[in-house]
Amino acid sequence: MRAAKPTERFDDIPRRVKNEATIVLGQKKLLQRLLPGVMHALIFWGFLVLFPTIVMAMIAAVNREWSLPWLGSQGWFMALVDVFILCVLAGIALAVWIRKILRPARFDGSHLGEADLILGMIALVVLTLLGWHAARIAAGLNEWPASASFLSNALSNVIPAPRISERVFDWAHVLVILSFLVYLPYSKHLHIATAAVNVFFSRTRRRGRLEPLRFDLPDEELRLGVGTIGDLTWKEMVDSLSCTECGRCQDVCPAYATGKELSPKLVIMGIRDQLFAEGPNLLAGGELSPIVGNGVPEEMVWDCVTCGACVHECPVSIEHIDHIVDLRRDLVMMKSSFPQEAESMLRDVERVGNPWGKPQGDRASWAADLGVRVLEEGEEPPEVLYWVGCAAAYDERAREAAESTAKLLQHAGVDFAILGAREACTGDPARRMGNEYVFQAYAAQNVATLNEASVTKIVASCPHCLNSLANEYPDFGGRYEVMHHTQLLAELLREGRLAPVAGDEEITYHDSCYLARHNDVREEPRELVSAVGRPVEMPRNGKRTFCCGAGGAHMWMEERGAPINEERVREAAETGAETLAVACPFCTVMLDDGVRASGRQLRVVDVSTLLAERL
Amino acid sequence: MNVLVLVEDDGDLSLQAVALAQTLGTTTAVRFDGTYAPAAWARDLAGRGWDALVGPGSDRGNEVLAHVAAQLDLPFAANVIEVRGDEVTRQRWGGTLLEEARVHAERKVFTSAPFAFAPAAELPHVESVTPELGDAVRVAEHLAPDTGGKVSLADAKVVVSGGRGVASSEGFAIIEELAALLEGAVGCSRVVTSAGWRPHTDQVGQTGTKVSPDLYIACGISGATQHIAGCKGAKKLLAINADPEATIFAHADYAVIGDLHEIVPAISAELRKARRT
Repeated sequence: MRAAKPTERFDDIPRRVKNEATIVLGQKKLLQRLLPGVMHALIFWGFLVLFPTIVMAMIAAVNREWSLPWLGSQGWFMALVDVFILCVLAGIALAVWIRKILRPARFDGSHLGEADLILGMIALVVLTLLGWHAARIAAGLNEWPASASFLSNALSNVIPAPRISERVFDWAHVLVILSFLVYLPYSKHLHIATAAVNVFFSRTRRRGRLEPLRFDLPDEELRLGVGTIGDLTWKEMVDSLSCTECGRCQDVCPAYATGKELSPKLVIMGIRDQLFAEGPNLLAGGELSPIVGNGVPEEMVWDCVTCGACVHECPVSIEHIDHIVDLRRDLVMMKSSFPQEAESMLRDVERVGNPWGKPQGDRASWAADLGVRVLEEGEEPPEVLYWVGCAAAYDERAREAAESTAKLLQHAGVDFAILGAREACTGDPARRMGNEYVFQAYAAQNVATLNEASVTKIVASCPHCLNSLANEYPDFGGRYEVMHHTQLLAELLREGRLAPVAGDEEITYHDSCYLARHNDVREEPRELVSAVGRPVEMPRNGKRTFCCGAGGAHMWMEERGAPINEERVREAAETGAETLAVACPFCTVMLDDGVRASGRQLRVVDVSTLLAERL
Repeated sequence: MNVLVLVEDDGDLSLQAVALAQTLGTTTAVRFDGTYAPAAWARDLAGRGWDALVGPGSDRGNEVLAHVAAQLDLPFAANVIEVRGDEVTRQRWGGTLLEEARVHAERKVFTSAPFAFAPAAELPHVESVTPELGDAVRVAEHLAPDTGGKVSLADAKVVVSGGRGVASSEGFAIIEELAALLEGAVGCSRVVTSAGWRPHTDQVGQTGTKVSPDLYIACGISGATQHIAGCKGAKKLLAINADPEATIFAHADYAVIGDLHEIVPAISAELRKARRT
């Protein structure tokens, strides 16, 4: 940690304290899954209560007449101890059931033997405690009313040679705990020390934001992503030390689910293993080997769609995307090593300002016949600036959403304009590919354009643009009120400025990762869907949506393994709906391709178009 | 200032390097004979006395001077467009960005950005050198990729491409036939490679090969942006598609609305007939 790179994580303390209360004490993220959540909570809460008994046992090990003042003689506390001993034992039983009978696939690649050993030790800790209390009562050494300890009291009748047993159980208890403490730093159980720290320093706001690199630093401090463990920030180090190998990330990962190399769990474990292996070397200033190709296979780095399902799921708030993007940054900017097919995207974004290399002059051609105002230099800004995005401006299938949105805004009498040829790619695909340099060049250019035009309020069609504009541009001096078109349209609907005709068509809505998970927009698109049809949900929806396969610049890469989009289309088709509503141009293209490839009868259409059709 | 300039030939890039060198001081030139061996050439250049070393902004010029700079532990400014004392303006990121930089060294190593300087009228006196290669890596042979005797997709004058409409791997027989008659190459869209009907090397598009033939014949391809990105360089585009609404028609110079399984063999038959007469 002494040799780690800096990162700014000390802001927003109240929210960090709140996270600590809900995620650590309240076990909020663990309880996202009922069975393993309850299992963990029983053990965790159990040990919170049982902690003073460990101190008591240690004191009594020195002199059996001694105990903790006051608390050691409280009957209610000892009753509570017995209750929580039962809780922990129930937790362990649940854990054994999950691990030995259910055997979920998320444990593939985890250290299973280590987990069994840890569970065994936990069981020993509470069993010796129980035995000790029972023996103490049997020997008449209890400072508390024996009747309070309903369990220990009952057991005290079967304890042989109470005074000797009391010593044996006490020392066994203390020794098990001490050996556990010795074993801790070498095992994934280290999370009991690091997880609370990691949760405290996790992202509080703007979750879709990537931390910007600084190019203006002197060479010694310059950090262009992560090549070796010497480039890790301290948060990334704590991340890797907090992993419990529970595999929830792996379970929700769309790349893993479709047979790709990537498992977010194995990325974090790989970084941790390399950190342990090379840590002494790092402190000694020795040579370090690259992480990619050693701890983390290169395919894993490129399989990621940055959908954030792993980050949302992780009970200890590990931020997997940061690790993967940092590894990509090093590969792209330092080693120029990346999937070759993405090169033309990077070059075209850099050269002409959009990923397909289309002429900048054609950017507003979709709007030519609609009478949409193009904001020229020096003109008064509109109430709302419509940020169209490259996909909706250039792609025939995505364009429909832009046309529908423009028509709806005109219908509702909203004062809006587009930037036309002055709009450029936000830089998102380049950034998620790891080319931070190009991203920052575009961030600077777009912020200059928007600030010069005195824009204050932006509506964006593309969740990826939205994420850059709202969460990332503030780092480059661009602060705007940014909303997604579904948010603005829902507002207009509520105000009665849009009144679509209700219908009874079954519509299933696909949440875009960058909208639902990274930016918490889940309700508004559903309001719109409900206004024009009957919504049916897919099993994976809202915060736990499943990616279309395009995120993280994958729109411009070849896919290995089974296609993610076809997996999502299968899920959508199984709802029985005829319409698959989307709110992202890339989801539109990916899912429409998926429908065509699978030959299913589903209409993939943007929410705005559904609305515009029913005015 | 004593300036040494590396020249490759009497082409524009070398003459532009000479022009830059002459703005800096008294210029002498050196040229290497024999196989290309950047490290060995650099060793020779590094051993000479100069205050500034200038090379052409070509792949070789940049590579050799990068070696020199590394061997002497000097900073290297590539693709310079202007020099003002210690300060230079140079191109970055393929010319999309101009960078103002200060060179912190007494001895300067520059290459001139292509076409940033008017070429010098003639070469100064050029010393021809055959360097000691030693154990330096040298380029022994240039090998063109094996295309199995066929025209490569990227170089083909005619590309006949099939999409989902072709419907199967066997369906490509008619596409191959037409391509052979036109001495062209066979291409395909991403759907086709995903379905395993053709290898990825045949894929035209954003994530495949970018082609710029005289004629591109798109058969049963809907025309997604991702595909158009790969064939927009074609001089003429002929689209054959059964769906009159297909977006490919928006990009096409010639359009045939109909079943490619009838139309493609018909074109082949017509071509054969025309050849016979």
